[in-house]
Amino acid sequence: MGLIEIENLSVTFRAKGREVRAVEGVSLTVGERESYGLVGESGSGKSTILRAICGMAPVTGGQIRIGGEALRMPRGPGFSRRVQMVFQDPYASLHPRHTIDRTLSEPLAIHRIGGSDAKVVKALTDVGLPASFRFRYPHQLSGGQRQRVAIARALMLEPSILLLDEPTSALDASVQAEVLNLLTRLREERGLTFLMVSHDLAVIDHMCDRVLVMQHGRAVEELARDDLAAARMTTAYARSLFEASADRMLDPAKAP
Amino acid sequence: MSLLEVQNLRVTFDTETGPVQAVRGVSFSLGRERLGIVGESGSGKTMTGRSVLRLIRPPGRIAADRMVFDGQDLMRASERDMRALRGKRIGMVMQDPKYSLNPVMTVGEQLTEGLRRRDRIRGAEARAKAVAALEAVQIRDPDRVMAAYPHELSGGMGQRVMIAMMLIPEPDLLIADEPTSALDVTVQAEVLSILDALVRDRGMGLIFISHDLRLVGRFCDRVLVMFKGRVVEELEARRLTEARHPYTRGLLNCLPRIGGPREPLPGLDRSGDWAKEGAA
Ligand SMILES: Nc1ncnc2c1ncn2[C@@H]1O[C@H](COP(=O)(O)OP(=O)(O)OP(=O)(O)O)[C@@H](O)[C@H]1O
Ligand SMILES: Nc1ncnc2c1ncn2[C@@H]1O[C@H](COP(=O)(O)OP(=O)(O)OP(=O)(O)O)[C@@H](O)[C@H]1O
Ligand SMILES: [Mg+2]
Ligand SMILES: [Mg+2]
Repeated sequence: MGLIEIENLSVTFRAKGREVRAVEGVSLTVGERESYGLVGESGSGKSTILRAICGMAPVTGGQIRIGGEALRMPRGPGFSRRVQMVFQDPYASLHPRHTIDRTLSEPLAIHRIGGSDAKVVKALTDVGLPASFRFRYPHQLSGGQRQRVAIARALMLEPSILLLDEPTSALDASVQAEVLNLLTRLREERGLTFLMVSHDLAVIDHMCDRVLVMQHGRAVEELARDDLAAARMTTAYARSLFEASADRMLDPAKAP
Repeated sequence: MSLLEVQNLRVTFDTETGPVQAVRGVSFSLGRERLGIVGESGSGKTMTGRSVLRLIRPPGRIAADRMVFDGQDLMRASERDMRALRGKRIGMVMQDPKYSLNPVMTVGEQLTEGLRRRDRIRGAEARAKAVAALEAVQIRDPDRVMAAYPHELSGGMGQRVMIAMMLIPEPDLLIADEPTSALDVTVQAEVLSILDALVRDRGMGLIFISHDLRLVGRFCDRVLVMFKGRVVEELEARRLTEARHPYTRGLLNCLPRIGGPREPLPGLDRSGDWAKEGAA
């Protein structure tokens, strides 16, 4: 049984009489301690799937279960201790008038967890930011620094499931390496489960055991990591993504 | 003659804990070419780009020995002159597109606003131009997106709307700050080919800020590598993998690869002299 089970999920937005079918009949299962990737066309519904798990998208069909139980609306406080999401757009997800300190300590306060001071400093250190950044506001940070604050915040409540939407696309190579190593270490130490979106197939290959390729609201193909690396895809779309990523293949000359 | 010349640019923020020097003496010149700027998070790439448009909000301050765009001294230009340049002759694709778009205006209103105000093109003609711009950046259903508000777009759609908006006025210089970070590789390739065509056919100058070293290496002509507010290395883009500076080499080394080993990625060794404060 999977820890996260999504069955035949459909999400339809209605805006000004128009229907936007963002997700149509997508199913996927993520095992406990697994790291599962979502890739695909821009606008194909990847973020919407993550938001649907959090109860933030208009689900019009299908089921989402976590640990075998169907999720309730609204999600409730137990959910946020268990599942945390890092949003694609860190600017929009950080409160502009709250200091970083407040952003990071608020989840602890809501859940009446003590030791906030030390935890905030530790969280910042974990994502490679100086403790002095506590007193800054989001607009005083660079794009990548904001993204790291968003990751730090998601980790504050020590969730067991992390939904990661492009967690490193705003980061430079060295910080990306640090954050990916941190995520991998946390997954090993705390037995975390990841559902993660990325456009970078090298990041997906490095982090994920399996990956679902999406296009236009639908699941196109699921691939195990080895099949991705060995180009054993069966659909033309998945192949086109792979071929357009030629610059990030392991240099054959340097292969072990 | 170069399109843009920047000499000894400095950007300083006065904060409660003292001045933060975001840019410390950056110099470069740009012709009708694709200039990449790479470098770690917080190294001053965005501030360098924004300085060219003099879009640094207080308490930030800009200083430069020289900053000239097509013969016009940007340091001496009036605010009015700057407004005339922004969005028309110099466009900037912001790093946080959804934050930079107006949340209470539809995409269509935002795309046609400039056409109406600047070029006095309105109605069906303005709309047709906007739709064409959206199609060019591979938006699947431009009619729906024209009527949508920014929060109704995906991350990559927001980015493409921003690019479309900057390209409509046909600028002479485009500063693109992480313009394709939210795009899948195939859509990204299309967007890059549009930018490429503008440089080649129209002689636009392009400053392409990106974290993606491999992308910059294959797309740009030249690259500036920034570290802590300084340019530490400048090289031909196709020679990026042959970079000499230990910082650039370190960055290249941290990248994951498809089919690579599952061990921790190498970090950047910051113990060298180059990483010390004040080193160039
Ligand atoms: N609040 C909303 N109202 C209307 N449509 C929406 C809303 N949110 C998302 N959509 C639409 O749903 C579709 C899927 O969006 P989603 O953000 O899930 O894409 P994505 O796969 O994450 O893309 P990207 O890689 O560009 O971030 C898009 O067409 C988008 O315009
Ligand atoms: N208002 C401000 N007050 C103080 N420091 C600031 C302010 N705005 C930016 N900074 C600092 O200026 C430095 C340069 O920021 P900039 O946004 O140019 O970085 P960047 O190279 O674009 O990074 P990224 O790749 O993460 O976007 C950063 O260290 C940032 O924290
Ligand atoms: Mg998305
Ligand atoms: Mg930036």
